[in-house]
Amino acid sequence: MRSDERGSIAVTVALLLPLLLTTLVGVVQLGALRVIAAKVASAADLATLAATDDQDQSALVRTGSLRLAPDAVAVARTFFALNLSTIAPLLATTPVSVAAQAEIAAFADVPAVDPLTGWRYEHPTVRIAVDVPVRTPVFGVVLPTTMTVRVRSASAPR
Amino acid sequence: MVLVVVPLLFGVIEFGWLFQRWLATQSVAAHAARYAGELGGDEPSLRAFIARELADVGIDPTRVEIDVAPTRVGWRDPVRVTVRAQERIDLPFILSTTVPISASAIARGELQR
Repeated sequence: MRSDERGSIAVTVALLLPLLLTTLVGVVQLGALRVIAAKVASAADLATLAATDDQDQSALVRTGSLRLAPDAVAVARTFFALNLSTIAPLLATTPVSVAAQAEIAAFADVPAVDPLTGWRYEHPTVRIAVDVPVRTPVFGVVLPTTMTVRVRSASAPR
Repeated sequence: MVLVVVPLLFGVIEFGWLFQRWLATQSVAAHAARYAGELGGDEPSLRAFIARELADVGIDPTRVEIDVAPTRVGWRDPVRVTVRAQERIDLPFILSTTVPISASAIARGELQR
């Protein structure tokens, strides 16, 4: 290799290195965002499951069919906040605040159509719908707004 | 150029692998929390379940720390399962290290004693 070719390669590397490093950091941040989204979805799933695991015992004895417990929405909200607390450093606001703003609905009378999601429920269902603001340090440098993760989760007792 | 491109390539692959492990650990923690709620706390069958789930996703269960709190959960009370793993990443010419991965999930005690 001639000395002027070595110089040409050094210039190419110097020009491409920032682009490569920026791409790498962006890929890592996107991966982290994907993980955060999965964790938030898991928190919502666990919350709706916790809310539907417990049924209205007296209604079950009286009618023989599964009915949601009267406190299903409150239980879902509590367990959503509890599960979000395990990933609190990744959120742009507090878990309690996210859970308080979540749209949580119990559909006791079925069949029913969810006005928010359009989903149809054949069994009593608890649904969580929320946009969760998350921390994205890299994207935060280039984007003026906070990124949010949209979660829709529903569970029914079987 | 090789000193730059090879670590970058390995970096993308290793971090992808790390994210996959992170997601898998989260999934195992969520399943384990639900099972802990059904069992009423920390039981040998829960440990065996977690070991099986970890092995299924390619994580060595012997190198994983599991914490169940409380060890005996009451009906309708929260039970938390935490799974901590140490994952090794190797970037040629730069570093070889272990990265701690931790996932927690909280479910509701379903056992009415």
